[in-house]
Amino acid sequence: MKNALSFSLADFFYNDSPNVLTPPSDFLEWIQDPQIQAGFSFFHQMLLDAPRSVTKIHSNIDGKDRRVINFTSYNYLGLSTHPEVIQAVIDGVKKYGMGASGSPMLSGTFDVHVQFAKKLADFKKKEDCILFSSGLGGNVGALQGLLRKGDILVMDEKIHKSLVDGGILSGAKMIFFKHNDMQHLDQILSEHKGKRTLLAVEGVYSMDGDLVKLPEITQMIDSSYPNVALYLDEAHSSLMFGKNGRGVGEHFGLEDKVGMDYGTLSKSFGGVGGFICSNALIVKYLRGYASAFNFSCAPSPAIVCGLMKSLEVATRDSSLRDKLWENTKYFKDKLQAMKLNLGGTQSQVIPIIVGSSGELLFELATELQLKGLFLQPVDFPAVPAHERRFRLSMTAQIEREVMDEALNIIEDVIVKKLKAKGMLGE
Amino acid sequence: MTKADVIKVIKKNILDNLEDLNEADIDPKKSMKDYGANSLDIIEVVSTSMRELNIKIPRSELADISTIDQLADKFMEQAK
Repeated sequence: MKNALSFSLADFFYNDSPNVLTPPSDFLEWIQDPQIQAGFSFFHQMLLDAPRSVTKIHSNIDGKDRRVINFTSYNYLGLSTHPEVIQAVIDGVKKYGMGASGSPMLSGTFDVHVQFAKKLADFKKKEDCILFSSGLGGNVGALQGLLRKGDILVMDEKIHKSLVDGGILSGAKMIFFKHNDMQHLDQILSEHKGKRTLLAVEGVYSMDGDLVKLPEITQMIDSSYPNVALYLDEAHSSLMFGKNGRGVGEHFGLEDKVGMDYGTLSKSFGGVGGFICSNALIVKYLRGYASAFNFSCAPSPAIVCGLMKSLEVATRDSSLRDKLWENTKYFKDKLQAMKLNLGGTQSQVIPIIVGSSGELLFELATELQLKGLFLQPVDFPAVPAHERRFRLSMTAQIEREVMDEALNIIEDVIVKKLKAKGMLGE
Repeated sequence: MTKADVIKVIKKNILDNLEDLNEADIDPKKSMKDYGANSLDIIEVVSTSMRELNIKIPRSELADISTIDQLADKFMEQAK
């Protein structure tokens, strides 16, 4: 296909094939292009071992099984593989079996679901909590359950797809403000003053690792828009930010200003699922209207046993998050010393931005993987076309010598190549 | 196909996707954002217009376009 690399998945969303079960003809031509196939080979690669900081994958690049240093999994605190968590899951599966075998309303609510939801609400200092079987389902379910046609949903332009999908499903009018741009946000809120409005932001933005400007936002709401409700997605910040690990809300001392606090159970918690903490009445209302809660099988009770242990381990002292921040600082300092462009990261999510060339991105990704570093490329349209990047997820469980090994690979592959192309500051 | 034809198609799709707007209100020198379009609305207008005009331009080449007129010029490169 001519200029196949100029196209992305974003260009084939609308299907003009007469048969719904046939993809667009040019999509097939594009996806079968050898250059595009090479790019896609990075996705859906099989992990052959647990998502630890060193794991094993079956590489799609050369078809070989390979030991890799893993900076791609979201196992930020290492809880997915923590021995106490694993034991709790084993005990749970022996008692409850594998699945819940029912939706929460009919037969899927187990004692451990109620106990865990109560613990999460107490942890987040909210009145009640609703659990979802998936993280995406939590955001989709919340927005679809809360908002209706005629309502206004204002979101940061870098918000996660799950909130966009929830907004579409709700029928609310969706308006995006420029990333962390308070002037633009103020303008939008002012234009819609008086209407039922929800403002949705993320604690840590997942592609850039920067934080929400929560103090400015809450001050704006307090002073000018007291009826605007604030929804904070703490997917990449719960258990990590704040003195007690409650998230970015606690980090800024503004938890009481957050109307609805969302978190995932698949990242720092090491399991799977999502949750929302808020006032008891609105949680009761959501239980009636959030389809992702009501019409989905409840989370596996055995996994919930593990998640309860994750919460206990992560909050009984600060050792795991202290280690995460120590590792993050060590690694960032070394990358900055190499003059790499890390964007505006303020968290354990560290982008390494390599510029506008998709060919260069995948060339580097191939070499990194062949040398044993599992660091996934992030291409347009997930990020702007001039800011293609690698996204590194730091973890508390990685050892110093493994970090040094990874830094050597980054220096040998990314730094060397960018220097040769004159793309690295001196 | 003339540029006026291309602008007519774009305008029709803007009207289909945005509320409370008349064709006479749409000034091609302005951005769709000026009429209340969010990024998803813009993708809808651009994609349906391209489908109607039987052209295909990668989204990566449309990132710097800010007005309806510039979009029509870009479409004209393939519509000729």
